[in-house]
Amino acid sequence: MKNTKALIPWLVALVALIGGASGLMTSGKVRSFEVEKFMQLPVLEGGRVKPLDSIARNSLLVIRSQQTFRDHDRTVSADEWLLDVMFNPRIANEEPVFVINDPDVLGLLGIKQSAERYFSFATLQPHLEEVEKQADLAHPIDAKQRTRFQSAIVNLYDRVYLYYRLQHSMQLPEFGPLADEIAARNDANAEKRHTEMMQLGLFRALPGAALSDWRNVGEALRDAHAGAPVDRGLTILAQASAAWSAQDPTAFNSATDALLATARPAELAAAAREETFNLAEPFYAGMVLYVIALLILFVSWVYQPKILAQSAYAVLLVALFVHTAGLVSRVILQGRPPVTNLYSSAIFVGWAAVVLGAIMERLYRKGFGTAVAAAAGFASLIIAHHLASDGDTMEMMRAVLDSNFWLATHVVSITIGYSGTFLAGAIAIGWAIRRHVEKTPDPATDKALLGMCYGTVCFAMLFSFVGTVLGGIWADQSWGRFWGWDPKENGALLIVLWNAIILHARWGGYARARGLMAMAIFGNIITSLSWFGVNMLGVGLHSYGFMDKAFWALVAFGSTQLLFIGLALLPPRFWSASGQLAPRTSAPAAT
Amino acid sequence: MAAQRKPSVILDVLCSLKLAIVCLSLLMVLVVACTLAQVSLGTNGAVSMFMRSFLVWWKPEGWRTSLPIFPGGALVGMVLAVNLIAAQIRRLAFTLNKAGLWLVHAGLILLVAAEFVSAALQVDSRMPIEEGQTRDFVEWTNNYELSITDPSDANVDDIYSIPDSLLRAGASIPLDGTPIAVRVHAWYRNAEMRRRNPNDPPAMATQGIGTEIDVREAPPVTSEDSRDNPTAVVEFLAGSKSYGTWLASAGLGAPQSFIHEGHTYQIALRPRREYLPYSLTLKKFSHDVYAGTDIPKNFSSLVHLVDKGRGEERDVLIFMNQPLRYAGRTFYQASFGKNDTLSILQVVKNPGWTLPYISCALVTLGLLIHFTLSLQRGQRSRQRLTQEAAKATT
Repeated sequence: MKNTKALIPWLVALVALIGGASGLMTSGKVRSFEVEKFMQLPVLEGGRVKPLDSIARNSLLVIRSQQTFRDHDRTVSADEWLLDVMFNPRIANEEPVFVINDPDVLGLLGIKQSAERYFSFATLQPHLEEVEKQADLAHPIDAKQRTRFQSAIVNLYDRVYLYYRLQHSMQLPEFGPLADEIAARNDANAEKRHTEMMQLGLFRALPGAALSDWRNVGEALRDAHAGAPVDRGLTILAQASAAWSAQDPTAFNSATDALLATARPAELAAAAREETFNLAEPFYAGMVLYVIALLILFVSWVYQPKILAQSAYAVLLVALFVHTAGLVSRVILQGRPPVTNLYSSAIFVGWAAVVLGAIMERLYRKGFGTAVAAAAGFASLIIAHHLASDGDTMEMMRAVLDSNFWLATHVVSITIGYSGTFLAGAIAIGWAIRRHVEKTPDPATDKALLGMCYGTVCFAMLFSFVGTVLGGIWADQSWGRFWGWDPKENGALLIVLWNAIILHARWGGYARARGLMAMAIFGNIITSLSWFGVNMLGVGLHSYGFMDKAFWALVAFGSTQLLFIGLALLPPRFWSASGQLAPRTSAPAAT
Repeated sequence: MAAQRKPSVILDVLCSLKLAIVCLSLLMVLVVACTLAQVSLGTNGAVSMFMRSFLVWWKPEGWRTSLPIFPGGALVGMVLAVNLIAAQIRRLAFTLNKAGLWLVHAGLILLVAAEFVSAALQVDSRMPIEEGQTRDFVEWTNNYELSITDPSDANVDDIYSIPDSLLRAGASIPLDGTPIAVRVHAWYRNAEMRRRNPNDPPAMATQGIGTEIDVREAPPVTSEDSRDNPTAVVEFLAGSKSYGTWLASAGLGAPQSFIHEGHTYQIALRPRREYLPYSLTLKKFSHDVYAGTDIPKNFSSLVHLVDKGRGEERDVLIFMNQPLRYAGRTFYQASFGKNDTLSILQVVKNPGWTLPYISCALVTLGLLIHFTLSLQRGQRSRQRLTQEAAKATT
């Protein structure tokens, strides 16, 4: 009996692992069309070669904020949607992909506000002129000065334009299938049509010797018009287009094989790897697993404490494994250190916090490390998910950032510093909540928590300081000054200063348990402001991470932290276990 | 007795941990204020108001004088440095246990010192250089000069320059080696210029393009993107003979000149130049983008460095994150223009540039030593606790 019980955490871990990898277990076919295979096709977009699958997912994410959607009781994947957009425009135009929440924008389109938030291109089409007019009025206004309506209309216009470009990347919907376009390459209006496709085409699907030699369909048509033989890839694309619009799986699958045979093996292999990464959705799987770990842990507090706490830890480790696999895949795919933009910083901050939390759980075995690690992992992956809606998360690095050495040292240290500060804050929040829910005082756990929190602040201090100074040195290398009081630099400095204050207050004995915990929670506010807040100012050299949407999210986060600080600061007589504490007032819990 | 104790009270305060915490907190407030103020004041304005000042001044609406309302960054930094040194000497025993803290604090003092050194000694300048051009001077970023050039000699131009610090209204400055003297009628750090309307007040200039331009003094600019337009109105005199009053401004394009005894004198107000004992020739400027996008991939300048004094002659590639350090100056790829044929190098002279590197190494090492030692101590005490707990249960 005892032996079987000891197996439970292992079994739970196995189930979690299988669940985490479920994204990879698909047939890759939609109604016997080899859609996944077709979407491996390497194309050049945004300065790098990627599978068409990435274009499909990122575009649908931008347009609908989701990677799949339901239409007439059927789940449509991003891949299938893109095929419709490119080859079957009449069907794609009816699919409800444009999410519109702004009531004024809906009013402009003559749509009454209802539960329906998703609209098709066909619904928008009669109003496109008006949308363009309003967007033109809003465009010259600085992004931060725009009203809610202006931001929403510009955003809608950008999404419609992206859709329009996708739709004109392979063939002109106004003219007809690609095969007709190739046949009519020498007719009177051909040049005009080719130019339109050259300008609108979002990606380049026809490979060349160097990256700059890749061509989009419009460019290949222009070359054919000028007398060059029709590109083989172009002919195959036309076959695929015809097969998809006729819904002929056999023809589509053989066109797919022929098309992939035209790609260079190395590029095809890289694109296939990226598609596998897209399918696995490791960060989504990790997010779910972190929640499960957290739930199991909650249950363990009232039922089967030992087995369930161990199971929660096991699920946490599986989640960490999946998270790590995703992180490592990104590093390999991109050929860059783990943090290259705001999105990847969220993923990395969470990852480092989970690693630290898991180590703490090993050291103290109180279930507490699992709790903060799972919470931190989940929160950071949610944040990352919301940061991903801008499109490609593996975009190319601007010239000044193009230094793997500094990305690997400065940026990684700074983000580990963020992780440490957040983790210390999370431990402190846990401590504060415990004060108000625990039935009997548990000084040993309190002491352990205090030790964890203090140690984490030290750790955060070390990495934020090193990261900040390394940033100074990078700035000295690239901009000619070590320190320029730039907002992002100031944000990093604030974290260092705050951690230094906490440590000195602790060493001087000015902050005891309650003080240390309250200060550690305040560290969360400072770190969140330094991470996201300074980007909202829109000044300074680091504004590549600019974002305007997160303002209210930050305000809400800050308020909850203030609430927790209040909870932490309440004197012992307000604690739930204060009754039991009373007889021992000579030995206060605050150490 | 009380009189004897007094100095020790001051000393106690000076090396107290409380003072360190107060200073760190004040610094946090200043950093936040400086960051927020950058939106309205620009980086330079905010930094000089909050960080590089000893006191932060505030002028209430309608008041004539400003009030000091907060200690400035320079004051707090200095107090913090004194506190660090005092505490170091007074409180921290020189033992192995505290070795980490010694290193950390030494590094921090060095870092504060480095910021003072660069505030006092760093000189920022630029070198705009076109492909094929050779340059042997840099232009200061925030200083200007009135230059009078005599190109009569076919081999070398004689250049007489007056730094902007001497350009004060009413000043009379002789050009050494010439019979010419300059009398300054007006000097504006920043000025707005526009074509004169018939009902504008009469122009101060009596010669050249200045007679057609209306000049108004303007407040110095604060934003990073725009620059001052320094402007002077000057009269040239040779003995008792006047060559008229001229408008000289960085905003004027075409050169103006007058002739005295067969010598032509060209007048210009331009960024202050500093000549170098070596020269750079721009062979090629490259601006690469990622294929199919406008995202810049790299900017680089291939320059040819010639230093006859040191006998150096070589090619150097300056690109992002890879500056040229030569003879105390550092040349960075900063900007470009003219259809990618003009490269603008930023040139920085900062004698203290190595200090932060040393400081960083000291603090990092110190923190590592300190935290490793305390981790070991914590481990030992945890082991003791578990042993005691084990004993208690048995």
